Amino acid sequence: MAYKLKINDSEMEVDAAPETPLLWVLRDHLGLTGTKYGCGIAQCGACTVHIDGVATRSCQFPLEAAEGVEITTIEGLDSNGEHVLQQVWTAMNVPQCGYCQSGMLMAVSSLLKDIPEPTDADIDLYVDNICRCGTYPRVRAAIHKAVEQMKA
Amino acid sequence: MTEQFKLSRRGFLTSVLGAGGALVMGISHDAFAATTATGPWDTYGDAPEFTPWLRIAPSGEVTVYATHPDIGNGVITQAASYVKEELGCRWEDIKVEYAAPERNHALNNFYADVGGALAYFSGRSTSEARREAYFSAAAGARERLKAAAAAEWEVDASEITVNEGELVHGDQSLPFGQVVAAAAGIELTEEPKLKTREEWTFLTKVNPAKIQIPQIVTGKAIYGMDVILPGMVYAALRQSPVMGGTLKSYDFEAIKNMPGVRAVVEVKPTEPGEPDKIKGPFPLGPTATPSAIAVIADHYWQARTALDALPVEWDDGDGAKWTDTEMMNQAALKGVREAGENIELSVGDVEAEFAKGGTIVEAEYLTPYCEQMPMEPLNGTALITENSAEVWTPSQHTQQVFAITVQETGIAPENVKVHQTFVGGGFGRRVYGDDARVVVAVAKGYPGVPVKVVWSREEATRQGRYRPLMASYMKARLGDDGLPTALLARAAGGPGVYVRGLPDTALTLLIPNAQVESNVIRDFHIKTGPYRGPGFNSNIFFTESFLDEMANAASQDPLDYRIKIYSKWEDEGWVKILNVLKEKSGWGTPLPTGQARGVAIGNWGMGGEPHKGTTCGSVVHAEVSNSGILKVHRIDIAFDCGRVMNKDAVQVELEGGAIFGLNMSLNEELNIKNGRIVEGNYDEYPLVRMGDMPEIHVHFEGLTDHERYDEIGEPPIGPVGPALANAIFKITGKRLRTQPLRKHDMSWGSGA
Repeated sequence: MAYKLKINDSEMEVDAAPETPLLWVLRDHLGLTGTKYGCGIAQCGACTVHIDGVATRSCQFPLEAAEGVEITTIEGLDSNGEHVLQQVWTAMNVPQCGYCQSGMLMAVSSLLKDIPEPTDADIDLYVDNICRCGTYPRVRAAIHKAVEQMKA
Repeated sequence: MTEQFKLSRRGFLTSVLGAGGALVMGISHDAFAATTATGPWDTYGDAPEFTPWLRIAPSGEVTVYATHPDIGNGVITQAASYVKEELGCRWEDIKVEYAAPERNHALNNFYADVGGALAYFSGRSTSEARREAYFSAAAGARERLKAAAAAEWEVDASEITVNEGELVHGDQSLPFGQVVAAAAGIELTEEPKLKTREEWTFLTKVNPAKIQIPQIVTGKAIYGMDVILPGMVYAALRQSPVMGGTLKSYDFEAIKNMPGVRAVVEVKPTEPGEPDKIKGPFPLGPTATPSAIAVIADHYWQARTALDALPVEWDDGDGAKWTDTEMMNQAALKGVREAGENIELSVGDVEAEFAKGGTIVEAEYLTPYCEQMPMEPLNGTALITENSAEVWTPSQHTQQVFAITVQETGIAPENVKVHQTFVGGGFGRRVYGDDARVVVAVAKGYPGVPVKVVWSREEATRQGRYRPLMASYMKARLGDDGLPTALLARAAGGPGVYVRGLPDTALTLLIPNAQVESNVIRDFHIKTGPYRGPGFNSNIFFTESFLDEMANAASQDPLDYRIKIYSKWEDEGWVKILNVLKEKSGWGTPLPTGQARGVAIGNWGMGGEPHKGTTCGSVVHAEVSNSGILKVHRIDIAFDCGRVMNKDAVQVELEGGAIFGLNMSLNEELNIKNGRIVEGNYDEYPLVRMGDMPEIHVHFEGLTDHERYDEIGEPPIGPVGPALANAIFKITGKRLRTQPLRKHDMSWGSGA
């Protein structure tokens, strides 16, 4: 079945089964491979995208629900890498292997929209993505640093 | 103006305050960093080649060839840094590509001889030989550039200096690019001497962040999972659920009309003894294909849905006799309750010493099977035709993948290509190349188009090369001063169990009567392999928990007790680390009821010798409520790898390694039911998250400045687990001798 999607401010058309997870639509059908497959059961958060601005795990979001909403992927955060989070992530050497970081960045950018100056408890709650390399201390520090830079 | 100053001026100056002061650091990172492409990175091109490590283009772009896949540990940045130091180019002019294993083959193993399993295409990225290869290549190129400029200016080359990609003589200067063509052809009468570390201006001074981060944070980095090729199809994979089992039957008719489905490919187990057509770093054994089946479809989700619907019957084979985990645990424990068939070390006479009586301490320990769980599930893409093979892989060892591809297809090595992609975590899982062999075997069954083979998370978890299930028994006699006079250590596990870390560690070597024995449980069917810190990751739990038990039996402070023991070891790093930890962690300062600190120390890579490998110690501050709820407040890490070149890169690895070690000890366990692995996904195999994080403090004061730059990825995963178990003992009086620690009842006092 054909579906019309709005992704990163562009209209895109996809022909796939209605129950196909948005994750695989993005990756296999549209070539937007920045959104990662980690677990497929909404546990790890590597597939996090924004649906109408809300951080959502795309592995559990069916294609049929994706019409009429605005989808933002890591490719839409800032393709030149000029988003404050991308800048701070680079300067602070946050990623290790980097595979989970698309999801981390989407979760964090959603957090900062809701709570511009999050506490550590807010971070724990919003950013529950899994990182096997153990970048958590740097992710937390980078969030605080980004907040500081945005205020300046 | 010094180079360092210029770089800091261009870079960011960051000062970071983490939770509870956990991370306080000032890092200078260059904003105009060296780069990599998003992939594939083995484009070569026609820029003049100075050596196979290095090309310089007329534009001034310097291409550095890296053999080690960067699994997040920064090895390509390290390669770029070596070249930057000796060549004197601009940092932002460096681009790193991977050295293709087929080029290594064509150049008669220029980069790495096949014999050394972990020599150059995997692991040991800090080896001195590799470092000198880069230094020499870059210094040689620099002197050739000088010679070419000298000819152009008709001056003596010794009067020419190099500054940020330019050759300078008096008032005149030339960018490297203008003389590269001439320079590449110059033969020097002698190769230049390498800089001493006092002469370094980049290494140890500038601490660049990983050069691939801009590709990562924009989602542009191409991991193995992200490879897209024209005409590519997808394969969803299922292997015999019991390792060693075989496919009995399947019914393609049941799925052949499902959307997108093209075919089913059956993979047969590699025949034992099949002659290797090319020698790979690792033998056939751990890399052999299992019995497997794959559904090929136009898209992954179609393939996966069809695979789930495909009726498949398996013959489970002998492994099915292991009805549950406890049965395997008991078999391993039985292996340490009888004399070991292998004597790993025998010094003095332990039995005679035990016969003297006095204080005898003994205990049994056990660590379970664990999966590396890299965030990127196993995958790979291959295009196999009648006479050519091309593979795209998130490997930890491309040389191994190359050999496997030749072996599995029988295609001539000249017609095989392997492309290294970004790697979504390794931790040892992608070293053997067993995953690549399955990819090639599936693609061989559907030739002529690129086939991307994807393991589901569950499939990857249940078809691993695991940290081995391992039991140990330790017995010691303490002398009148409370220090051990005899130690017996016995270890047992399935084929591939790692004994290292028991006979070749400082504790064992310091005791006058010491015996280390092992038994292999031959009918364990579960495959094992290198999981971060192989062997070390279990053996340090045994030795450092047991050391705590000895200190307790001797009624001595566990940290001071360790200082007493290790002060006799020739390598001063051990005591230095312990003293740093004592001071920095607040050791001995009062804590509220229900809280305590535990300590542990060990060395990765020493192989029985002082001043080798990396010594790493940890103090863990934990809290256990009366009802048994555990909270880890803080981890202090101190270490000695000799020297460091990029302080921030080292700190990152130690932070991540401490967290990995915490999770391994606290949470990880694979269970067995009728020979199958039970756990499949993160809901069953928990990993720590942001909210579980303790403060982590990394201390550099333990460094001895001994002349080595040893490994840093594996050491920190060792001491955290035993230090935590030792803290829990102090709080609860309960000695946790098996991992994962979370499974124990930790209630105490009024809650017990």
